[in-house]
Amino acid sequence: MSDLETETRTQQIKQLALEAGGDVVGIADPRAWDEHVPHGHRPDDILPGARSVIVVGSRGPTAGAWRSPNHRVMEINGYDFRNDAAIHRVADAIEQQHDHQAIQAPGLPVAGHLPPFSMMLAAVLAGLGTRSLAANIILNPKYGLLYYSACITTLEFQYDHMLEQDVCPHHMCVESFRRFGKTPCMAACPSEEGGCLDGSIDDQGRIDYSYYDRERCVTRAMNFGINSFQKALAQIVSEQDEEQQATMIYSDFFSRSCSAITHYKESVAQCFECMRVCPIGRSERKLK
Amino acid sequence: MTVTSQIDFEEAKSEIGAIAAKSGALVGGVAAADAFMAAPEGRRPSDILPHARSVFVIGGAQPRAGDWQSPNYQHMEVTSTSDRMQTLALKIARTIEDRFSYYAVCVPPGVDQGQQPFMSIAMAADLAGCGSRSLAGPVLHPEYGFMYFGAIITTMPLPADKRLDTPACPAPECVAMYAAENTTPCFGVCPIGSGGCLGGRLEAGHISDRQYDSARCSTRVQNYWVPGFQKLLGATLQEPDAKKQKMMLFSSMFSRTLWSMTYSNVSQGQCSECMRVCPVGLAHRTKQ
Repeated sequence: MSDLETETRTQQIKQLALEAGGDVVGIADPRAWDEHVPHGHRPDDILPGARSVIVVGSRGPTAGAWRSPNHRVMEINGYDFRNDAAIHRVADAIEQQHDHQAIQAPGLPVAGHLPPFSMMLAAVLAGLGTRSLAANIILNPKYGLLYYSACITTLEFQYDHMLEQDVCPHHMCVESFRRFGKTPCMAACPSEEGGCLDGSIDDQGRIDYSYYDRERCVTRAMNFGINSFQKALAQIVSEQDEEQQATMIYSDFFSRSCSAITHYKESVAQCFECMRVCPIGRSERKLK
Repeated sequence: MTVTSQIDFEEAKSEIGAIAAKSGALVGGVAAADAFMAAPEGRRPSDILPHARSVFVIGGAQPRAGDWQSPNYQHMEVTSTSDRMQTLALKIARTIEDRFSYYAVCVPPGVDQGQQPFMSIAMAADLAGCGSRSLAGPVLHPEYGFMYFGAIITTMPLPADKRLDTPACPAPECVAMYAAENTTPCFGVCPIGSGGCLGGRLEAGHISDRQYDSARCSTRVQNYWVPGFQKLLGATLQEPDAKKQKMMLFSSMFSRTLWSMTYSNVSQGQCSECMRVCPVGLAHRTKQ
């Protein structure tokens, strides 16, 4: 297979991913996982003979949703799964047109609370973004927060390089840290005041240390959904008073929790405050 | 047309409508954001998106003619959902932002605090001329009858459509039937005086009074899905007999309820009897 053929094929599959709903697309070498994750979590563990990992990112809330004064709007409109849809189109095209195996990489935990395959790492290795001080979210230089999906395939494509420059911290955040000892995200959710984030930036303007209280964040970022359903159900089951139990079952909180777990569509991310103040991608959210 | 040139909003509206139609919407229309004065404060477009100028409404995804013909009534219960219109609404919101650089937010599905919708999509459909409220409850399009709607609030000043000059309901056949028998097809199939949900009066061919028992209707329309789950959960938890409780948990009813929650996040039509007898849109429910 010539380099030209590989290059043409790579451009075609990237174009397809963008047309199918992705905002960004990158391709990583499966061997790059070896130095970052243990056996069992690498592309070859999921699809033997994997030769490429195609990663697609798509934006979550619209710019209009970011502006809504009703925070519950963002709780519901945070995500539309376009990246998943795009990945399925990519995988179909590889199997049907190129006669190679292709699968959607699993994104959700199957045992424990760790996913079998890290979409965050995939996005970094495919050159789509870098880890940030804000909850380790992978920030894309153009769009900031994106949702990622990946396709693992036995077909070889041209690989993208990891970003040479960190997306986070933004130079404005470096300046803010030097003056006030905090970046905008740390100030929005400071761990020492009941928040989730802390960190420091070194003399070169790079992340020196970062702290993220994941458990605490989950209680805020997942007000509705599987977590709140489990929490509410535990309380409902242990309630002894029948009338009170019925009130809890028919409450708007439990209704929303049930509704939020249906098809996992209504409600995924629900806080966004660290991202609201992030300067990365802000220009993309500035409209008329 | 580009965002840097002067936007022709009439042309923009046509373009958005064409995208909606290509993606599966049967109808589309625009309501002015300031026309929602009948909605309570907090439930108007500008409460969701500051400086909202327009609400773009799409409708479609109604049951097919074949669905209406199925002798297995459970078939309709599992195939009639509003999800397609919700997905399309998200796509259109993104299109408005990316193509025209105006803010856009999709009206969230489901209910907000107090089990109230974020904004009445039925009111939006009525104001945008996509249909009119009916004796049976749903907004009916004059040609297609019952359908599901989605709405997108935007700061883009799209030219507003006007409400229908002639309401879709009551249809001439229903006016004639009311004159002859003092009832309409929908009243007849679900009479509020005999344990049903609908009642009302026609005068001079128009609706002069309407009775709709929403609470009673929801127990029939929502046999499965979230309300069904809540009802079953309460009954199961309050069952003192452990064996019977286990039977309830593993019953087909409980299984169906859980299944229905996984494939529709917003609403599912599960009765539809008032719509089955409605003459509005009958031609589209009739095939060979």
